[in-house]
Amino acid sequence: MNTVLAIQDLSKHFGKIRAVNNLNLTVEAGQVFGMLGPNGSGKTTTLGMLMGVTNPTAGKFLWFGEEPTPNVRRKIGAVLEHPIFYPYLSGQKNLELNAMIKECPAENIPRVLDLVELTERKDDKYKTYSLGMKQRLAIASALLNDPTVLILDEPTNGLDPMGIAEIREIIKKIAAHGKTIILASHLLDEVQKVCTHFAILKKGNMVYSGPVDDVGKGLETVEVNADVENLNEILLTFPGTSSVNLENGVYQVTMREGYHGKALNSFLFESGIVASHLVTKKKSLEKQFLEILSDAR
Amino acid sequence: MLQLLKIDLKKLTSYRTFWIICGLYFITLLMTTASGMEFLKWLARTVEGFGQSININRIPLYHFPDVWQNLAWSSGLLKIMIAIMVVISITNEYAYRTIRQNIIDGLSRKEFLLSKVYTNLLLSLLSMVLVFLVALVTGLIYSSHLNIDYMFDGVEFYPAYFLEVFAFLSFALMLGILVQRSGLSIILLLNSYLIELIIKENIDDYVPWLIKFFPLESIMNLVPMPFARYAFQQIQDSVSLQAVAIALVWTFLFNYFSYWRLKKADL
Ligand SMILES: Nc1ncnc2c1ncn2[C@@H]1O[C@H](COP(=O)(O)OP(=O)(O)OP(=O)(O)O)[C@@H](O)[C@H]1O
Ligand SMILES: [Mg+2]
Repeated sequence: MNTVLAIQDLSKHFGKIRAVNNLNLTVEAGQVFGMLGPNGSGKTTTLGMLMGVTNPTAGKFLWFGEEPTPNVRRKIGAVLEHPIFYPYLSGQKNLELNAMIKECPAENIPRVLDLVELTERKDDKYKTYSLGMKQRLAIASALLNDPTVLILDEPTNGLDPMGIAEIREIIKKIAAHGKTIILASHLLDEVQKVCTHFAILKKGNMVYSGPVDDVGKGLETVEVNADVENLNEILLTFPGTSSVNLENGVYQVTMREGYHGKALNSFLFESGIVASHLVTKKKSLEKQFLEILSDAR
Repeated sequence: MLQLLKIDLKKLTSYRTFWIICGLYFITLLMTTASGMEFLKWLARTVEGFGQSININRIPLYHFPDVWQNLAWSSGLLKIMIAIMVVISITNEYAYRTIRQNIIDGLSRKEFLLSKVYTNLLLSLLSMVLVFLVALVTGLIYSSHLNIDYMFDGVEFYPAYFLEVFAFLSFALMLGILVQRSGLSIILLLNSYLIELIIKENIDDYVPWLIKFFPLESIMNLVPMPFARYAFQQIQDSVSLQAVAIALVWTFLFNYFSYWRLKKADL
């Protein structure tokens, strides 16, 4: 595999605030890499350093195995936080300007405008666009140079549900072309749907990184309900039970290693209880995210 | 170089304020020329003995070769207008945060600065050419007889005028990069002469030789004020190489300081 990005001991301090602290990370070609973390955990600061607008306090990073240069940035499409354009220029003119900066032909413009469905409004001034249209223009601009790497920081901010689904489709489509995508987002559902790998930042420290497929492995949770009064005690007598919680009127049984929903079901049956509700739950990324964050100190 | 200039011009040429200020600048330039005689009348009224000792209608304000230095000097007063435009152009980049996006999109910080510096060069060049043409046409109209021997005495003030404008625009660009806010930068720009004046007045008694090394003073000294000659006083009617050298050093320092600041900053 080709390493697209290698971050080594990267730090950024703003006075006393350690926005990013000794970050080590590699992103391989073709990965869709999700960067997660609560507000202020250093996602944007990290991406800002990768794109040359924030000077690192310490450490370094390599794009495609090389020290970063402006020319490397031209091959990367990036939207950090908010869409940024000249408000008095039309969408079209803004893209023409960006094409000049990225040194790519202006012929690419109609294609990307089409992709984000802005062709109709391209001659209107940017400042007259709605937030969602601004986001779309930013994505169009990031795709202008047919980049091999795409960096998106909250790309679905302010979009309507349809827009979110569309952007997700665009991201998937781009990923299907073998492009590498780095995505910072608060929408964990989104990340689970589109990402192959993810990392979690907390107060500038990386507290987890791994493939998305690993989420849900590990301890199982089974949701149970039955018309029995002392169900709680009965569930606790099952040797595979690690803990029992009552949530929204159903019992959440966390299983010990090696035990599964099927075994619990036959145990209940043997105890003469017929479950009215029994679901084995795969852990969501959201749940895992919250767990990791509360574990990390 | 051309590519970087094109990038900055692309930002400016669709910006209405740019055309308004440039339009005003060039109109004022022409008006100043047209109102020269009024200026003479004002001189006659204010300077004692000026109107009595000579007939103001016979002052060769627009005659070759006087017209060169006269117009170069008076046009120099108007450079503040394009300097304000330069301040707006750079502080907009901070206000809209487009400077950040430009770097993300692939410009280096140096290239970004160069694109602004090249625009400054172009604006200075255009100013010089325009004033030169105005002076040439005015001179041709007013001069009663043309004598090629001395007709172009004083044309050397035009390269000096070019440097004067460029040095001042470099100063404006630096202010914009340091302060980043348009209102504050423009106020500082307008007050910079006053600030320098106060400092100069206070040190005049102790180190008078230092005065000519002050940045704005050195820019003013490139094209010295010529009108005292009509009151029969000695004036400096050629470009001082020392003034050029000092102004060049300041121009370099202004732009270098902009570069240094930009390089260090988180955008
Ligand atoms: N220019 C700055 N000056 C001072 N502190 C800053 C600056 N930029 C960021 N920070 C601080 O650095 C930390 C990380 O901020 P950052 O914007 O990277 O977080 P984030 O993970 O992107 O958050 P969010 O999810 O809200 O976008 C925060 O504590 C923030 O206050
Ligand atoms: Mg952020």
